[in-house]
Amino acid sequence: MNTNRRKQVNPVHFSSLVRCLLVALFLGAGGLFFVYMKNQQFALAEEIRQIEKRIAGVRAQNETLLARVTELSSRRVLQQKIADGFIVMKPIQDNVIARLTPPAAAVADGILRTAFVERGRP
Amino acid sequence: MKWTERTRAGLACGAVALIFTVYSGRLVHLQVAKHSEYSRLAAEKHTMRMVIHARRGLIFDRNGELLASNLPVRTVVADGSHIKNPAAVARIAAPFLEMDERELLQKISSDRKYIVVRRAVAEEKAVALRKALEEANLQGVELEQDAVRIYPNGQMLGHVLGFLDHEGTGIQGIEMTMEKYLRGRDGYRFSEHDRTGREIMLYRGQEEQAEHGLNVRLTIDMSLQAILEEELDAAFRDLKPEMVVGILADPVTGEILAMANRPCFDPNRPGGGKPEQMKNRAITDMVEPGSTFKIVVASGALNEGTVKENTGIYCENGAFAYAGKILHDHHGYGTMNVHDILVKSSNIGSAKMALMMGDAKYYEYVRRFGFGEKTGIELPGEIPGLVHPPQRWDKLTITRMPMGQSVSVTPLQITMSMSVIANGGRLMTPQIVRAVEDTEGRVVWEKPPKVAREVIPQKTARFVSNALSGVVGEGGTAQLAKVAGFTVAGKTGTAEKMSPGGGYAQGKYIVSFVGYLPEEAPRFVCLVLIDDPKIASAVNYGGLVAAPVFSRIGERAARHLDLVPALRAEPVVALGTGAKREGSWTP
Repeated sequence: MNTNRRKQVNPVHFSSLVRCLLVALFLGAGGLFFVYMKNQQFALAEEIRQIEKRIAGVRAQNETLLARVTELSSRRVLQQKIADGFIVMKPIQDNVIARLTPPAAAVADGILRTAFVERGRP
Repeated sequence: MKWTERTRAGLACGAVALIFTVYSGRLVHLQVAKHSEYSRLAAEKHTMRMVIHARRGLIFDRNGELLASNLPVRTVVADGSHIKNPAAVARIAAPFLEMDERELLQKISSDRKYIVVRRAVAEEKAVALRKALEEANLQGVELEQDAVRIYPNGQMLGHVLGFLDHEGTGIQGIEMTMEKYLRGRDGYRFSEHDRTGREIMLYRGQEEQAEHGLNVRLTIDMSLQAILEEELDAAFRDLKPEMVVGILADPVTGEILAMANRPCFDPNRPGGGKPEQMKNRAITDMVEPGSTFKIVVASGALNEGTVKENTGIYCENGAFAYAGKILHDHHGYGTMNVHDILVKSSNIGSAKMALMMGDAKYYEYVRRFGFGEKTGIELPGEIPGLVHPPQRWDKLTITRMPMGQSVSVTPLQITMSMSVIANGGRLMTPQIVRAVEDTEGRVVWEKPPKVAREVIPQKTARFVSNALSGVVGEGGTAQLAKVAGFTVAGKTGTAEKMSPGGGYAQGKYIVSFVGYLPEEAPRFVCLVLIDDPKIASAVNYGGLVAAPVFSRIGERAARHLDLVPALRAEPVVALGTGAKREGSWTP
């Protein structure tokens, strides 16, 4: 029996080793990449949630301000401001009104009126 | 059996196989047979159905003026199972929520997952509250989106707009009738939450966006509405009546341009209104119309050929004995034609025309003018009024009804009946909703003017209209209804007020004036109806009380509509010179 063990060493199959290492590396990298991607997804989702929250807040603030503007420019408030003297209304002179159809003058005196005002009322 | 090595190995393998088979069976049972049950349980534990609230549609007037809008607010809710330190939460939140700390603590000291702490919290306060809680690192309090309805013009047009209940459903006015368009449809989103109750965005599930409510555009012109309300306010303040109703309508299209009642309420605070303030009396109350009803008999008698334009009717010199009673006119009149009967508002002349027409024909015209049936306006609570059929009339009804007694009508019906004369004999269906639009302003649905029926031919309507212009002219009962520069046509009404105990209340009247201008081409019909004005009996008539209010509204409305006057402007006659009492019954 041949006892020289030096001649019986198992050869290292580098190609297999490399293949195994590559597979392990690939699986490891895949796993790490999956975890990384998952983390990214969570981070992005959280970011989206925060942005959504901010947008909702800004939109609500905008609507609140719009409601306030609507109230302040409402007829009721404007009339009150006129009554209190904060706003003054000036009648538009007839010579600055552009009319699509020429107006008919009042028959008797030829003076154009839009309507008789408070003159003559008891 | 020989207990060999092979047998033992076989048994061990069999046992292992059996155990795995049992486990596999159980696994299949859980995954397949019990799949739906456990899926539901898991979903219940982690998944929430979040409601995405739809925004309620807005309401505009015909020119785009905003009448009803939404103010974003927050509903503060708490999850009792997530609140670790209720006392700290209560201490921080109480000032923001304007609540008593102890009351708040009591409310949130619970294991319930959904506790409504406070509704309608202003946006800025809610945001400040969230910030304060985050800084203190306290969890378990959430802010839900909500909105409250606001009416920027306060009580103006309140009866027409209506208001919402605490769940956001319209329960009065346009808010109620147009609910299906205004409401919109809430959306939803399924999402998972972590153990702190925070949404895990990544696991968002099925989602459906909310469909916002559609906007409603009314036929109301807020400028005319403001004019009407100002004048009614003045009348309500000066005359201290039970109520005042005013309506402005376009007789050609049937569009309601303005509608107001006094007393009124603020739809922003419906809880503060009394029941009598919240009624839209223009459609929910019925009154005896008085002499404004005489247009029905005049139109009917002319159209049926019962009388001709120049037929003379003897008015018995002011006292007409019929069925054991005497019917009076204010003045004794001799023979008059239809024109003069309307101008002088003769009860006897009107009664005689109805007698000549006969019960059935007269009743037919009352119904043709729209009395005794709902007009179909898009407002809730409208009543049809009360018009008894001839079978239920007594002997006097045929003489009472032409002067506006023994019949009950709504103010809107009076307005629409006068519109028949103004519109050449056609009765229009009144409308207050012009269109429904989407959020981009595109018209989704539009309501065109609708002719209800042709009541009388144009020729008859022209004749009656001409007579009605005489009512406002020299010798008529409503000289104070004049609008300088324009020919006004109209009719006064002075009806004795019904007593709750039966019969008529002594010294109480419902006075009214309904008219239109310009008479040649009417742009608007206006009714002013005043219930029991506190004024001396000698001047308590439609021609003296309601007609001047009409005149002021007419003047301002004509100016707003830029109508060109066709007549020379003349001063309006002084109070008390020309209006006449329209007569009454005595036993």
